[in-house]
Amino acid sequence: MAAMDKTVWCGVMSIFIFAALGCAPSATSKPDPSVASPAKPAPKSGGEGRSPTKESTAGEGSSLDQLREGKPQVSGPLKDIFFGFDRYDLEAEARSTLKANADWLKKNPAARVEIEGHCDERGTNEYNLALGAKRAQAAKDYLVTLGIATERLSTISYGEEISLCKEPNESCWRQNRRARFVIIPSRPAS
Amino acid sequence: MILKFAFALAWLVMQACFVHAQTKGETGVRGEIVGQGGLKFPIAVSPLKNLGSGADAGRLSEGIADTIVYDLDLSGWFKVVDRAAYIESPQKSGVMLGTFDFKDWSTIGAEGLVKGGFTVQGDEVAVELRLFDVFQSKERVGKRYVGKVKDYRRIAHKFADEIINQFTGVPGIFNTRIAYVSTSGGRFKEIHVAHLDGSEKFQLTSNRTINLSPSWTPDGKSVLYTSYKDRNSSLYLFELYSGKEVKFAPRNGRYLGGKISPDGQFIAATAEAGGNSNINLLDRNGNLIRSLTENAGIEVSPSWSPDSRQLAFVSDRSGSPQVYVLDVASNKTRRITYSGNYNTSPEWAPRGDRIAYTGRVGNRFAIFTISVDGGEPRKLTAESADSEDPTWSPDGRFIVFSSNRAGKYHLYLMQANGENQRRLTGSGGDDTKPSWSPRLE
Repeated sequence: MAAMDKTVWCGVMSIFIFAALGCAPSATSKPDPSVASPAKPAPKSGGEGRSPTKESTAGEGSSLDQLREGKPQVSGPLKDIFFGFDRYDLEAEARSTLKANADWLKKNPAARVEIEGHCDERGTNEYNLALGAKRAQAAKDYLVTLGIATERLSTISYGEEISLCKEPNESCWRQNRRARFVIIPSRPAS
Repeated sequence: MILKFAFALAWLVMQACFVHAQTKGETGVRGEIVGQGGLKFPIAVSPLKNLGSGADAGRLSEGIADTIVYDLDLSGWFKVVDRAAYIESPQKSGVMLGTFDFKDWSTIGAEGLVKGGFTVQGDEVAVELRLFDVFQSKERVGKRYVGKVKDYRRIAHKFADEIINQFTGVPGIFNTRIAYVSTSGGRFKEIHVAHLDGSEKFQLTSNRTINLSPSWTPDGKSVLYTSYKDRNSSLYLFELYSGKEVKFAPRNGRYLGGKISPDGQFIAATAEAGGNSNINLLDRNGNLIRSLTENAGIEVSPSWSPDSRQLAFVSDRSGSPQVYVLDVASNKTRRITYSGNYNTSPEWAPRGDRIAYTGRVGNRFAIFTISVDGGEPRKLTAESADSEDPTWSPDGRFIVFSSNRAGKYHLYLMQANGENQRRLTGSGGDDTKPSWSPRLE
């Protein structure tokens, strides 16, 4: 048992050291069949993976960071846009919000944004992950047509997993069917 | 024929009802002991006799009987006679044919009877269990099991499976587990694993993020799931006994979910890049073999056919999410669902003939099944609440799903025709996305 703990500890530490050296194997570089983390079903193993990712978020923070820290969701200077049920096309109101967001981004050229796609909690989780990705991409594409460099914009979908409003009614569901814009500070060195 | 009455009744009931469970390639009586309302088979399960010299410290006498009672009751095929009505004393009467009086059981209306004894030695227990036909005054089957005292429920589940085998020709599914997503009352979504009766509960992830869509490898030893623990959603394959874990991430974009093929050779994974989701075929080590779909839309939720040659999946290529079937060798695709404008989370039945899925009805979601050839879907749950995420039992005779009919999302079990819907023991939080394991040793 002690040996097992040691293995886990060494595994986690080596990930941290790699991350600190800036040569952590990128998760997206190739299919990675190696043992990523010798996780075992103990409550202690919860923190792994947290440190290497924290550097990329600041300010209001991603919805996942806010979930982890148990904070209520606060938005930054960029406003959310909203969608119809099972839709990822941009409504008129969403377009005008995106125009305002684009203006802010033009005034703050150093700012990079991660666009989060969200869904209401109805329907199937995996389908909603895909739908959230479509919503984030639709917002990104429109910002690009408004002149924002694509390199400044990244997307992520949280599907129905991080809801803003918990009541089972349409006004609440609509608040959850959103794209959210999280400002990521540009890296100091680059 | 032994247990003639039971079989005669089972046969009659089967004829009277619409449930026909013909299993290809097997012989003998096939049927479900199921009826509308009161046509359940009355059976008694006596507390076991302590055949050893020590006291029954582990309460095995009633613990084993309770577990069998729970299983038989859960199946929906039996009416278990209330223990309070039992006449004979389990510790005084015998457990073998001729050492007890069948009249004590026929008097209280039992037509089947389970009796048994056990001997504890150290941390091991030897258990013998017998199924009797009360009307014929005959023994139908007897089994002897040896195991750890703490694993006594597994022994009980095995004999419950054997009882189902005696009545239907196909063993039961009680020695299985369910992997599911639970909030456990908190804000994180973690993967949990438990037996159908809620025992041997175990939390597979504890990373305090979002973990989704568990599914089992065909050997029942590992669980594949989606997690945000490294910030971006990726697939992880977790080996239950060793705790070893492997991560799968695509070259571009991210994985939203995946399933291992029944032959254990491949993974069908939903990959998202640039907003488009498509189904990718991976080898068992997570290396991309090829894309199975390449559409600028949503293609998600692959589910393998039992022969590992086809996949059911969801596509919005028609303008709304619908269930399609894809032939892996040829990439030929055909649409299965046509009714409704929201049909998702297909699960191919282990018998191969039907696909279960979640469909939207008005403002609610319900579980449906449909023939793999298409046709009219069957709605199995009422739209007074939402029911989602069907998963088949390994024998295809049951479906577990999640529903908010009691407020929070809980897991429910029903027969594959929608009858006998029963809530399973939960975690106290919202329990969703169940995945039924194969039969376990």
